[in-house]
Amino acid sequence: MPAGRRQLAVNLLGVVEHATSGASPYAIGRDGRPYVPAGDGGLVLGVDLGEGVWERAADHVAPGACLVHPDPAARLALTGLSCLGNEAILRSGAAAGARGVVVGKRGEAGRVIVRFPPEVLATMAPGDEVSVRAEGQGHPPIGDVRVMNLAAELLEGLATRSAGTLRVPVRCEIASALMGNGIGRPAVQWCLDLQLDPLNAGLHGAARLALGDLVALDDVDARFNIGYRRGWSTVGVVVHGGSPLPGHGPGIVAVLTGPAAALELEVDAEAHRGLAGALGA
Amino acid sequence: MDVRTNRDRLVTQVLAGEVWPPLADRHAYRVDPEGAPFFLPGMGGVTLGVHCGDPATGYAADHVEPGLSVRHRDAGANYALQFLTCVGNSVTVTSGPAAGANGFVIGQHAYVLVELEPEAMDGVTTGDKVRVLAVGQGLALADHPRVILKNCSPSLLAAMPGGTAADGRLSVHVAAVVPAAAMGAGVGMVSEYANTDLMGAYAGLPADLSLGLEGLRIGDVVALSDQDHRFGRGRAEGWCTIGVISTGHCMAFGHGPGPSSIMVGPSEAFDLVLDERANLANLAGALR
Repeated sequence: MPAGRRQLAVNLLGVVEHATSGASPYAIGRDGRPYVPAGDGGLVLGVDLGEGVWERAADHVAPGACLVHPDPAARLALTGLSCLGNEAILRSGAAAGARGVVVGKRGEAGRVIVRFPPEVLATMAPGDEVSVRAEGQGHPPIGDVRVMNLAAELLEGLATRSAGTLRVPVRCEIASALMGNGIGRPAVQWCLDLQLDPLNAGLHGAARLALGDLVALDDVDARFNIGYRRGWSTVGVVVHGGSPLPGHGPGIVAVLTGPAAALELEVDAEAHRGLAGALGA
Repeated sequence: MDVRTNRDRLVTQVLAGEVWPPLADRHAYRVDPEGAPFFLPGMGGVTLGVHCGDPATGYAADHVEPGLSVRHRDAGANYALQFLTCVGNSVTVTSGPAAGANGFVIGQHAYVLVELEPEAMDGVTTGDKVRVLAVGQGLALADHPRVILKNCSPSLLAAMPGGTAADGRLSVHVAAVVPAAAMGAGVGMVSEYANTDLMGAYAGLPADLSLGLEGLRIGDVVALSDQDHRFGRGRAEGWCTIGVISTGHCMAFGHGPGPSSIMVGPSEAFDLVLDERANLANLAGALR
């Protein structure tokens, strides 16, 4: 989107998701063992930004409440238009009026992940209504770097403009061949799972990967679907934890994508704080 | 393939489907890797003029599905049709002017894809019914316990060259070895449904997208590096998945020609033989 056009903010209704399952309780892990997925969507207590992505015996666990909408098309719009850093207001239940922040979203049918203070989450239930002030899509590019899925004010907390490039602190820089589920899907509506697990994470500087971390992907372009393009770089925010499923793992939402030369990555495998630092988690 | 199997213990189920029409939405356009909109044929329906042995790329098309694209109206029956149908299964057209024409399954892509003789294809249109003789899930190799077969009909396995090598490995003839970086949309899905799109095969688009895969053909038997598709499609270093290219050219980014997975094992269990004749077109006589 060219600079000079004002971005729009829209209020969207999200409904706190109830966890779902098929007729069989089991999913099959990459080792061939069946397991019962816990924490995959819905309302999850006690998990926050900064927590390691493999700390829980869970599948795709996200910090806080997942929002959906009963109409499938409205659910996709809620997912596509909501941006990390957007404000969300709880409209029902004992803590009505409490404020949360969008810290992620997930693909296919679409979900928006909202972090609320623990004392607010403790009062919430599936079906609660949340209004998201969605703003951020349509951000003008910064030089050659496309910005997506990110509230403008949060961008300032995650990256620094320097001569001709954007300087971005990240936990690790990952090869494109580790991309998993989410390749070939629109980055405004899907997260991209990384095929990282506790066994291979150390090989890729991701042993301490945590919820809210920024991660850079080499040779990945996320402008028009997520896919392989030599010499490009995509930076995403980790929005959910690991998964036993083959082809799945910790998921990122793409926020910056551009020629590798336009992104100055500052890799810190140990002390990186990402969204947890920017939001004071 | 010179191997001992349990094929005499498999059951055949008769399944039915219909040729599903291509689907559009009211916005018509999708977007290519450069951000340009396109509206092109490819998925669904009866796709003419693309057969096993033909180039997979180079068409003005998106997600080319060669031949008939078949599904079942009922959601549960459709999953059974997609999961149980195997590459190489026999198919008969059961309605319309082409009724009685025989063909075989090229692969899956959220539809079962069926190759017929070119002259029979002309008589088929969307809505026509087909019958599939589904056999192959459960097929196992007696002498290669670490190699898993899936979506592979006994007749395809029998017709493929190779077999148990002198050193005990399984010799498989492949037309290409695909790098792990090419794996695109379809990663993370179950191995018995649709296929894994390969990126880096966008013929006619800029070189920074290429992984050297523009020469793939429909029906090619290929080896997928570092892929373990036993329980779903994922990456695992030191594993190898054998697939058959069942779909072709894509304009959508992150997509491309797609192999249906038919064998999985540790890399050291395979003796891969590069052979440009490793294509379903050269095995079709045994499959019809």
